[in-house]
Amino acid sequence: MTGPAAAARASILESLRPPPVLQGPVRIGDLDDQLLTPVGRRPPLAWFIAFGVTSTAALLGIVLILYTIATGIGVWGNNIPVAWAFDIINFVFWVGIGHAGTLISAILLLFRARWRNSISRFAEAMTIFAVICATLFPLIHVGRPWLAFWLAPYPNQRGMWPNFRSPLLWDVFAVNTYFLISLLFWYIGLIPDLASLRDRTPPGARRFVYSVLSLGWRAASSHWHHYERAYLVIAGLATGLVLSVHSVVSFDFAVSLVPGWHMTIFPPYFVAGAVFAGFAMVVMAMVVVRSTMHLEHLITAYHLDMMNRVILACSCLMGYAYLLEGFTAWYSMNPSIHHTFRQYIGGTYGLAGWITIVCNVVIPQLLWLRWFRRNIAGMVFVSLAVTVGMWFERFVIIVSSLHQDFLSSSWHVYRPTLVDYGILLGSFGLFFSLVLLFARVLPVIATTEMKMVLPGAQPRSGKGER
Amino acid sequence: MLAGALGLAGVAAAFFLCERERFWINWVLWFLFLLTTGLGSLFLVALEHVVGARWSVPLRRVPETIAGLVPPMGAAALVGLLSLGTLYPWTSAEGLRDPLVAAKAGWLNEPFFALRAAACVLLWTVSYVVLVGGSRRQDQTGDPRFNRRARRFAPLFMVILGLTVTVTAFDWISSLEPVWYSDIFGVYVFAGAFLAGLAATTLFTLHLRDAGRLDGVGPDHLHNLGGFLFAFTVFWAYIGFAQYLLMWYANIPEEVFWYGERLHGAWGGILLALALLHFLVPFLILIPRDAKSRPRLLFGVALLMLAMHWLDLYWMLFPSVAGGPLFGWPELSFALLFLSGGIWWVRRLMDRGEAMPVGDPFLREGLEFRL
Amino acid sequence: MNPAQGPFSVLGVFDTPDALLEAIGKVKGRTGHRLEAYTPYPVHGLDRALGYRKSPIGGMVFVMGLVGALSALVLELWTSGWDYPLVTAGKPVVSWEAFVPILFEITVLFAALTAGLGMLLLLNRLPALRHPMLRSRSMALLTRDRFGLAVESAGEPLDPEALALLLEDAGAAAIEVVERPPAPGPASPKLLAAALGAILLACLAAAGTTYWGIKLFPRLIPMAHMLDQPRLDPQSGSSFFADGSGMRPPVAGTVSQGAPPRPLPNAEASEGLVNPLPGSAAVFRRGRAAYDTHCAVCHGLLGNGEGSLTDAYGARPTHLTAGAGRELSDGAIYHVIVSGKNAMPPYSSDLTEEERWAAVHYVRVLERALDALDTDFQGGAR
Repeated sequence: MTGPAAAARASILESLRPPPVLQGPVRIGDLDDQLLTPVGRRPPLAWFIAFGVTSTAALLGIVLILYTIATGIGVWGNNIPVAWAFDIINFVFWVGIGHAGTLISAILLLFRARWRNSISRFAEAMTIFAVICATLFPLIHVGRPWLAFWLAPYPNQRGMWPNFRSPLLWDVFAVNTYFLISLLFWYIGLIPDLASLRDRTPPGARRFVYSVLSLGWRAASSHWHHYERAYLVIAGLATGLVLSVHSVVSFDFAVSLVPGWHMTIFPPYFVAGAVFAGFAMVVMAMVVVRSTMHLEHLITAYHLDMMNRVILACSCLMGYAYLLEGFTAWYSMNPSIHHTFRQYIGGTYGLAGWITIVCNVVIPQLLWLRWFRRNIAGMVFVSLAVTVGMWFERFVIIVSSLHQDFLSSSWHVYRPTLVDYGILLGSFGLFFSLVLLFARVLPVIATTEMKMVLPGAQPRSGKGER
Repeated sequence: MLAGALGLAGVAAAFFLCERERFWINWVLWFLFLLTTGLGSLFLVALEHVVGARWSVPLRRVPETIAGLVPPMGAAALVGLLSLGTLYPWTSAEGLRDPLVAAKAGWLNEPFFALRAAACVLLWTVSYVVLVGGSRRQDQTGDPRFNRRARRFAPLFMVILGLTVTVTAFDWISSLEPVWYSDIFGVYVFAGAFLAGLAATTLFTLHLRDAGRLDGVGPDHLHNLGGFLFAFTVFWAYIGFAQYLLMWYANIPEEVFWYGERLHGAWGGILLALALLHFLVPFLILIPRDAKSRPRLLFGVALLMLAMHWLDLYWMLFPSVAGGPLFGWPELSFALLFLSGGIWWVRRLMDRGEAMPVGDPFLREGLEFRL
Repeated sequence: MNPAQGPFSVLGVFDTPDALLEAIGKVKGRTGHRLEAYTPYPVHGLDRALGYRKSPIGGMVFVMGLVGALSALVLELWTSGWDYPLVTAGKPVVSWEAFVPILFEITVLFAALTAGLGMLLLLNRLPALRHPMLRSRSMALLTRDRFGLAVESAGEPLDPEALALLLEDAGAAAIEVVERPPAPGPASPKLLAAALGAILLACLAAAGTTYWGIKLFPRLIPMAHMLDQPRLDPQSGSSFFADGSGMRPPVAGTVSQGAPPRPLPNAEASEGLVNPLPGSAAVFRRGRAAYDTHCAVCHGLLGNGEGSLTDAYGARPTHLTAGAGRELSDGAIYHVIVSGKNAMPPYSSDLTEEERWAAVHYVRVLERALDALDTDFQGGAR
């Protein structure tokens, strides 16, 4: 082979090879210094400003929730036939956001995608916070949140049991299981990092806290032996769980007879949408984190590129689902379904339908271009569009389908009230407040997992035999 | 050879002796079975290119070869167009008397159906040539430009496959009951197809490995195949159950009758067999970590899954034309003809070239793969 | 407690994972003590080098997953199908299809908790905040970027010098002898008092909170707006009507549907009326239904004049099963049902003729049940 041909060959091979997970020479110990030092330090001014903004929003949300509870949910815009509106939209939206974390930490772990290690910790934390935000909404929507414990199946003096055939009860079990397991998964991943933090901290109250939280982890190989296995097993279980949770959420709609809700594609379509929205949120968060905390060498353009590819794939799946829904709606030859689908794109809320399609299917197609996948402004634009689009998608599914039901005398145009908007804003405030707090008190990158994939971290002799 | 000849004779006899319906439904069943297996394998190939997987490079020639079933089965599908008048109610005046069916005439009419089928076959064949033909040429040239081209083409192929499989499912299977509709149906057929492709790949890999043609493919590679089988049998069950649960719960007449036909009598027994043997038994067998890399076990599970994919198609297709399960000499002849023909075709393709993509620059990395 | 003496372990610190693996090869099998490696992250190949057996987590998870699945199934079947069968959505009370989602969630919950907590608490015996290694000077290196190999004592004495030499030969960059932590002495009286005081305070706080919580919480009715309506509640008064009562009595002489209109006999004439219904089980059941619905709120479920309304209402209903009440004839009871007596309103509008007599039968049954005659027992008096 001649010289130029060989060079061309080498360059093609280079372009096909995934770049190293980290940029630049990083030694194992340096990672600790970079990732664990900021923990617990006094944060910069920008952090305080951001936290001020988000916590104010959260406080506004809390005040409005208290107002709702004290006054009754008549302060919202919901009314028959639109009995579900912002509350359930926001619930589905936030649960969806919460799906990226488990996908990144569990599924990508099973597929051995090593780029996940830089972002898994942060994404898992976002999962937990998003699920917290999500559970708020059904809780206040029941109207008497102090009676929510009636949903638990325990023998009681009322002589009643919850209805196990109701999808709403499935939701309770699915979301709570998801929350618990995500928390467990996150915590188990944190333990070695907490131990590192403990050993870096001079004796005192903070060291005591880290020491208790790390359960006295001593990095023994006999412990790692069980730890790794358990981590994999939980990842496998969480993979099934992540599929089930949003499927169960979709059952809330799909088991009914409401046109536009009863569609058999809902379960996988909801899961794809959840991962879609979740990844968009993770991309936005990672963009901010890597620049403010100077982690560009750990969360590289390659990581962002991979996440954007996932977003693109999900966008195609969403496009497929929309196409199929539209086609089947026509193909069913059911006049009620035809009517509902005309409302999606042409009725009172037709704009919401178009926002959904443009933001979820059209704009993300920009990510076919490498430039968009690697350009910060470009990907933030796409991610924002996806977040907005996915929120509106739930709006279309819930409000547009409900507002003109079978009985045309009950048709009703839903208008959200200021309280509705305020609580939505509050949930964003709560979410980002928690994220900001997390970024200050715990390591934002799974330090231990990063060490594992550093060059030279694994023995040369360990490879190649079995 | 003998089996094939017997099968051919039987099929020819069936053409003249059986009711036309029975002949054609068998035809549709068998070309769909081999076609979906081939398409599932082709998807597996595309998946490797898209995600840039290295472990599967040494195995890639196997699904590529099985995907060789796609062009002949595409031709069989085109022959199958002759069945439209016999099998599909929306072609007859009697079927069109149902206003729900008549209203769908814009989609369900013979010219458009044939056009869609032909377009699908064309797209598959082109994809096959790009993905598999290029890979075979690379055996001689070792040109890495193929990897780049395949990597760019594979996502496009996935989009194509998603749409064409859906069209195939809606047209060839679902429109046997033109009133019925289910938007997940394409996904369900895809899940079955991918699983069948995986199972066929596993079977053939193990066979070649025993024959000593896949040197360097170790338990770790098999473990990944086993893991895929495990994951996608769950996926298949998930999709199938979701469709069933939603129809059962809503109980809408236009939907639920489809399950009504397929739940009662012996068909219900077949559905139960599917639930157990397509999902539960393989699932339980593959749970332990070691089980995923034991060749004999894997062989049995893969064979079971392939058989169950056939049964799945049988269960979807036959109730539309037969009151109870039919299995007689015509079915047996079809099985003999298509199975021996398919195996002969795949082995011929395999014997023509290398058993591994020897020109792929990442073959070495793939062989070195360890868990 | 094993009063083990001497150091806990001798620890060699290595710079690279390869050095560690090599050292394990050299030290393994030459000490007679337990070997343990310490690494900041899982190092591939250590499991095999140290000869660990397969982790039992997979089996534990499988078993507990099955337990979870069965528990969920039993819970769903028993509550929905047996204890509280309630038809919703026209589905059978036992619908396996609808039980699958929760079955799945509970299975995963049990399995994942087993994997996580089983690994931490059972297999790794954490939390272990007093482990000797946590006092080691090298610990901060081992959770950072160094690799340790320790020869540990499970109670038996160690020979630190010899082991240190062995580890040094194996390539250790540094050696540390890890001592056991001093046995925890008796707590000082001051600490003990403080702890007891804190516990006492916590108990008091919890008790107070619970007490006031239980007292006050049910009285808080947020969102009472639906109760706050311009309508009259049952039994409440109203100045609108002349008699000051909010509830309107039925027009005098109203009888319920199904009861033949007949002149109301006066009290004396009623004395002698005979219960026209037979004393069959079916009649008793009807009487019981009528009695429990209409009479029991005042006369009590047992007929002893202590119904749930008695306290609130202030009147003293007749004790039907003892004393004067017991002396009443069937006809007299019937008359009171029809016409009312003292504070008791007439029930002719609520009970049909048959129900009245059935109720009379039931009152008799109550009397006998509470104060049976000797002849009621099989074989006479006992």
